[in-house]
Amino acid sequence: MSKALVCPCEDVTVDDVKHAIQKGYCDVESVKRYTGFGTGICQGKSCLTAVAQVLASEVKDIKPTSILPFTPRTPLYPTELSLMATAPVDESRAPSGGVPASLGYSFHALRPEAPVQSRAKVVIIGGGIMGLALAHNLASRGEKDVVVLEKGYLCAGASGRNGGGVRMQWGTSAMIELAKRSIDLMKQFAREMGINIWLRQGGYLFLAKTKKIADRLEAGAKLHNRHGVPTQILTPDAAKDVVPQLTMKDVLVCAYNSEDGVIFPWPFLWGYAQSCQKKGIKVETFTNVVGFEIAGGKILKVKTDRGDIACEQVVLAAGAWSPSVAELAGVTLPNEPHRHEILSTEPLKPFLGPLVSVLDSGLYFSQSMRGEIVGGMGDPKEPAGLNMGSTLRFVKRFASALTEQLPVVGRIKVLRQWAGCYDVTPDNNPILGRTPGLPNLLQMSGFVGHGFMMAPAVAERMAEWMVKGAPDELFTRFTLDRFQKGDLEREEFIIG
Amino acid sequence: MRRIEQRGQAITVELDGDPVPAFDGEPVALSLLAAGETVFARSIKYHRPRGPYCFAAACSHCLMRVDGVPNIYTCRIPARAGMRLERQNAYPSVKVDVFQSIDWLFPRGLDHHAMFAGVPVAEQVMAKVARHLAGLGLLPDKPAPDRMPCETLRVKVAVAGGGASGSSAAARLAAQGVPFLLLERDPFLGGRRFSAPDLPRDQVRLRTPVIGLYEDDAGWYLAAVSAADASEPRLLKVYAERFLLAVGGHPPTLPFENNELPGVFSGRAATSMLRRHGLLIAEEPALVGRGPELAELQRLLESHGAKIAAVVDVDGDAKDLKAHGRNKVNGLSFARRGRRKKVDCDAILVSVPISPSFELARQGGARVSWSPPHRTFVVEAAADGRTHAAFPLYVSGELTAPHAPEESAKSGELAADAIAREARP
Repeated sequence: MSKALVCPCEDVTVDDVKHAIQKGYCDVESVKRYTGFGTGICQGKSCLTAVAQVLASEVKDIKPTSILPFTPRTPLYPTELSLMATAPVDESRAPSGGVPASLGYSFHALRPEAPVQSRAKVVIIGGGIMGLALAHNLASRGEKDVVVLEKGYLCAGASGRNGGGVRMQWGTSAMIELAKRSIDLMKQFAREMGINIWLRQGGYLFLAKTKKIADRLEAGAKLHNRHGVPTQILTPDAAKDVVPQLTMKDVLVCAYNSEDGVIFPWPFLWGYAQSCQKKGIKVETFTNVVGFEIAGGKILKVKTDRGDIACEQVVLAAGAWSPSVAELAGVTLPNEPHRHEILSTEPLKPFLGPLVSVLDSGLYFSQSMRGEIVGGMGDPKEPAGLNMGSTLRFVKRFASALTEQLPVVGRIKVLRQWAGCYDVTPDNNPILGRTPGLPNLLQMSGFVGHGFMMAPAVAERMAEWMVKGAPDELFTRFTLDRFQKGDLEREEFIIG
Repeated sequence: MRRIEQRGQAITVELDGDPVPAFDGEPVALSLLAAGETVFARSIKYHRPRGPYCFAAACSHCLMRVDGVPNIYTCRIPARAGMRLERQNAYPSVKVDVFQSIDWLFPRGLDHHAMFAGVPVAEQVMAKVARHLAGLGLLPDKPAPDRMPCETLRVKVAVAGGGASGSSAAARLAAQGVPFLLLERDPFLGGRRFSAPDLPRDQVRLRTPVIGLYEDDAGWYLAAVSAADASEPRLLKVYAERFLLAVGGHPPTLPFENNELPGVFSGRAATSMLRRHGLLIAEEPALVGRGPELAELQRLLESHGAKIAAVVDVDGDAKDLKAHGRNKVNGLSFARRGRRKKVDCDAILVSVPISPSFELARQGGARVSWSPPHRTFVVEAAADGRTHAAFPLYVSGELTAPHAPEESAKSGELAADAIAREARP
């Protein structure tokens, strides 16, 4: 019982930090995620300096300029949802701003000095869950001549910023089948990768407050049942048996699938990345793609800020950044990034089983394995753009909607808020397969906020298709040229 | 532990159903300490005993359920007659908690990433157990009361923090006729100076912690929760043309074995308990740390009759510090020149340079960097406190480095002068 603590809120010890450094997590943001330091009630006030001092003394040749603090999140002190709900908001106007403001410095201080490898058969752009899961699956099928490029730390993008919901309740057969397979793979993940992902199948409970959404839930449940997904349509009264604290004002009907659930997103990335490294695949963090060398309708080289990589195939799996990377190759994607904000409260003993979502307003919330209420809410006025700032407007809108649905949490305190970007396509479906006119650029983007839960299954099928060339409708049906052909089937089960 | 002086009216609060004497208005955590209560809570993972450390809302050691609301900083709330305090996260009680066995079973810590990963049955059991052990506190007893509407203000200059630096800056602004509003989280001004200049009352909001520096269509603003004059709290938005952040710093954790045992306090907590509330926290404390505040703390305690068990400079030749005691500190040991030495003590006071509270500054776009000489993150600013932010955002006092109170005051005045020069028509 003798431990030296750096973060007493989360019981993180000096040895835990050293262990993270040994694993290769040598920047503050990564150590925060891997050890959990700074994620408790003090939000890093008492521990950040202590952790940075450990990094300064333990990481070989670390430069002072490479020791950057993690992003300080609002609120500075835990603040009750009911107080946040009083902030004035003009819903008729679009949100603007968001903090932290542009920081004037970024990941370049953390970029390794050594050049990247000069060639690889497959270059995967984007070290989020899509890219890492694909690299892992390629390696498992014998293709190990692969490199993954990531512009930030692992978990810096949407894969590290989502609420961890995984569900089979979708509006199209293709998505239902992918989600089912993903959840099966998630159940095996710890066994295969040696890292816990804390899948908790507490279900998803959708509430509908308008006839249109109620009809959508009812039609959805029939489709789910045909795919073996046990979605039930519940009356508001019956749904109160699932979450007794909910108020059911204006709720017409509910849909509940007890096999949906929540996971802890970060260990997926670490698990896949560690698997890649074990198989000799490099995951190059803090490395930017700056251009492409193209000749004869083919990408010959991927140019990075650490040198060029000659390659045979390039996979674009950069999520919300995919359009801007594609632009460098002269390819126009119809995807648009849309900020989605999210927050987390103080941790409470378990009381909330399912993830609850009001599909009409885009409100969703669940209780994490750590006990926090984690939730968000789409903003219909949110303009397109790569913005990851946090606003009081969001906290107000979320806090109002949540405390109306679940009044008992009015005095529960918000610990931190953050944001990530959905990668939105015109039909809410992904973009996969070959790029017209540039066939060795493979698309793997456009997952509209649900890429995380689809990735294990999509990556498996994509690797199979890439290595064995087996025909697969995913890569002929969800191609980029469908938008020209106008052959669109819209996914309507999008939260937010 | 000794009350040197009693301030306020004698009252009684309730701790897990038992009466505890207190004085009206003092931080209720201090009332409990003075009454001999040391264990306030159990920690989240290993269920280690916890008691107050920082008295500055910068750790989580003193959280309790207060009047039916979980996770309240007892160091921040004033004692009131009949207040109901309950300890959290323990079974059957905080003093005898069966889950402390986790701490004993995993003396080197447990790796929640790898533990039972992929082991059939064990991993499901672990997930269920972890779910039930996770979290601090139960849902509140009832929904929130109706809240007062948010108040929105527009001012020329907003000053966040009324400690040594912020209160001096505000006095300077007042002297030059520059309108300002000062927001201070404590019920008093002056911070570590324990005295403050007279400021126009309507330009100061006490009990008003700033929770964020945000931007929207109408410009930059400080968001705060104001409970000025001990009224019900309300949200406050303060738009300003210029901002001065003088919010000081947080007492950091100093890692050594058992460094969070009840009875380990930050040096500044010990100082303010003594000077602000008349409580000498220990009769025979051991002092550990580094920097000029360590010697000052020793002088202060000795002048009130404390016997100092040891002073350990962590930059010196003492290594491998360890706090001893079961539910409260009763000793400190360390290695020096190959020999292990142990002293008896009734508290360990940790005095290390403060960690600048850079959060608001960075939210506004100021640069924050690691300072090797200070071994902390600091806000980068010009001599007059102007930061790299794209709008007039100034910092002063301990945001740029740990400072003595007089230096902090001086830097506040410099920033105020710069702001006044700009603000003049």
